[in-house]
Amino acid sequence: MTFDVPVFDVKNLMLTINEQTILENISLQIHKGEYTALIGPNGGGKTTLIRLLLGLQKANSGEIRLFGVLQKDFQNWDKIGYVPQRAAQVDLNFPATVLEVVMMGRTAKRGFFGREREEDVLAVEEAMQKMDVTHLKARLIGTLSGGQRQRVMIARALASKPEVLILDEPNTGVDIVSQQRFYALLRELNSKEKLTILFITHDIGVIADDIGRLLTVNQSLLTCNDPKEAMSCAEMSKLYGIDAHLLHNHHHH
Amino acid sequence: MIEMFQYEFMQRAFLAGIIIAVLASVSGSFIVLRQYSMMTETLAHSALVGVAVGLLVGSSPLWTAVVVALISAWTIEYLRSYYHLYSDAILAIFLSGSLALAVIIVSLAGAFNSSLFSYLFGSILSVSTEDVMTMFIFGGIALMVLLAFYKEFYFIAFDEEVAQTSGVKVKVFNFLLVTIVAVIIALSIRVVGTLLIGALMVIPTVAALQYRQGFARTIWLALGFSLLSVVVGMTSSYYFSLPSGATIVMAVLIIFIVSLVINRR
Repeated sequence: MTFDVPVFDVKNLMLTINEQTILENISLQIHKGEYTALIGPNGGGKTTLIRLLLGLQKANSGEIRLFGVLQKDFQNWDKIGYVPQRAAQVDLNFPATVLEVVMMGRTAKRGFFGREREEDVLAVEEAMQKMDVTHLKARLIGTLSGGQRQRVMIARALASKPEVLILDEPNTGVDIVSQQRFYALLRELNSKEKLTILFITHDIGVIADDIGRLLTVNQSLLTCNDPKEAMSCAEMSKLYGIDAHLLHNHHHH
Repeated sequence: MIEMFQYEFMQRAFLAGIIIAVLASVSGSFIVLRQYSMMTETLAHSALVGVAVGLLVGSSPLWTAVVVALISAWTIEYLRSYYHLYSDAILAIFLSGSLALAVIIVSLAGAFNSSLFSYLFGSILSVSTEDVMTMFIFGGIALMVLLAFYKEFYFIAFDEEVAQTSGVKVKVFNFLLVTIVAVIIALSIRVVGTLLIGALMVIPTVAALQYRQGFARTIWLALGFSLLSVVVGMTSSYYFSLPSGATIVMAVLIIFIVSLVINRR
């Protein structure tokens, strides 16, 4: 165990909306280099937890620290790349080429008048190469397939050279072949680039062999440190709201 | 065509028109992509309240229009971002509320006359040298701010939440954008009129979008369409003695229809 400052340090997070408990008693630490999947039933609070971490929503109580800094004082948002759930479903008529979308990832780092410096261009080229979208750079975002669009959105997140990548159901609307390629890419980013990855998914069967840690959210949080054991974990089954054994068998067929 | 430039008022009107074409199309691009098109109509009606106040108290209607449009823009943005009210409902309330208020003020002032008519539909005759100077200075500032932060406005229009999580101060930029738009609208109503300025901000961009290009090219196209319609509109306004706002909007409308037809899928 290292003594580095956790990337995310969450203590006793509580969120109620209209007297309905959405999340309760969430405590969680994610360390640098971890590869973590977040699962749970629909409406269980997965996306909400991510939104709280990113400051898009406010909790009723509890504390969130990013890289050791209280969220309200945190400034280095470029360290965190975020790919939201609806990323593959952008406005198809929006006038943006792939290059323009990936360049958005440099927005916070560029100076007045949007001057593109050499480092911006290099970072964007590198991100496009990693996600294999360089050949699409002149294409309009609305003309791409769901899988291609998804890769462009991740390239945009990578363009700011983040230390953490957060993805919310990155495979919505993406075909199976692209999915497998995609998970191979995530694994590579985690192992080679030392990127800390946290993502929401439904494809627990597909990724169980790769991930380092599995978190289950259904109002409260449960951690399984060994994902291979997760499937036989009775609590996991209860929290996930489906028959875990069925899911497990399905995975091996 | 050359003959009309013998008149100083036409020189002033064209200068003002070109300034407005640039301002309206560039700011309009962000407004359209932000799906904020109705904002232009609402702020134009708020500017009309300013004009009415100006006519009532006898001060420059241009200045009072800027002030009232700004107050209105900030209030709308505040209600939208802090109270999470429906954006289109807020805009509708402000639009009809402003119009009602403007009519009452104008009636009280007993100024329901040609002066108001020229602010509703635009008039190339009413542009003074002072107006052109004001447009040039404040329009120039608005354009500089817009260009200085265009990448932030563009990112926010594409994906507000991701922009926020990547460190862009979304609330600040939303206020800045409506501020710029309010100023541009108030400056433009002399030539284009409060009822028609919205069209000049929205239609060139929507026409440009039909050509399915990236953002940079879309803005250039919108700017070109805007300049062309102002030149054609003002020329026909002069030769046919029609309100300039109406002829400009008809010109841009024709460009839009042609763009739609030649790019149909």
